[in-house]
Amino acid sequence: MPERTVTVASRSGLHARPAKIFVQAVARQGTPVRIRVGDGKPVPANSMLAVLSLGARHGVEVTLDADGPQAEETLAALADLLSRDLDAEDGTDA
Amino acid sequence: MAETAALPLDPRAVRLDEHADGREEAVRRCGQVLVEIGAAEESYVEAMLERERSISTYVGEGVAIPHGTLVGKDAVHHDAICVLRFPEGVDWDGEQVTVCVGIAARGDGHVALLAELAQILLDPEQALTLRTATEVSEVVALLQPREESSE
Repeated sequence: MPERTVTVASRSGLHARPAKIFVQAVARQGTPVRIRVGDGKPVPANSMLAVLSLGARHGVEVTLDADGPQAEETLAALADLLSRDLDAEDGTDA
Repeated sequence: MAETAALPLDPRAVRLDEHADGREEAVRRCGQVLVEIGAAEESYVEAMLERERSISTYVGEGVAIPHGTLVGKDAVHHDAICVLRFPEGVDWDGEQVTVCVGIAARGDGHVALLAELAQILLDPEQALTLRTATEVSEVVALLQPREESSE
């Protein structure tokens, strides 16, 4: 299954606001995506609670995986999102 | 599972029977409770409202987690959460919210707090207890890890 590992760039980590932006982006993609920290259990990336439960701080590496014809494209877009500081983008995409 | 840390919940910050006319009022109530228990300054309430306007803090299961912006962090005296229940429900941008967990945290302490809270909410039984508890002590017990499960 295609995977992408990316470092969480948001200053305050993958918490409420950056997490919500990420979860909404996952939902828009329409391809099931999972996310995990290290060797942890992958959780559905379209669930706010599941993503929050990872407790991924700034600088933590997370791994995304997806299946299906759009998998590579989806992972590239989401990895790009996580590598941006979503806390610095107040007012956009909200 | 991440390691469990006690959620900093003062029993005085648990309110089981709150009323609010809308999202803003509910967030304001959460902020006021955090100020009342000495966890934050008055200005943190405005930071919480600002965050809420920027993006909804609704997380699912009828629960919202209002908290301040990064700018508001200087107004936090110590990490704390509050639990406010709104039995009549509050319209939250189309979602019905019956439980608000307000969060005040310095630094990136809120990431661990949110992770802890999310793990409780992901467990249907614990989420139900949070929604239906009739005693403040039940809510406090739910959010404080039991000794035997500390490892």
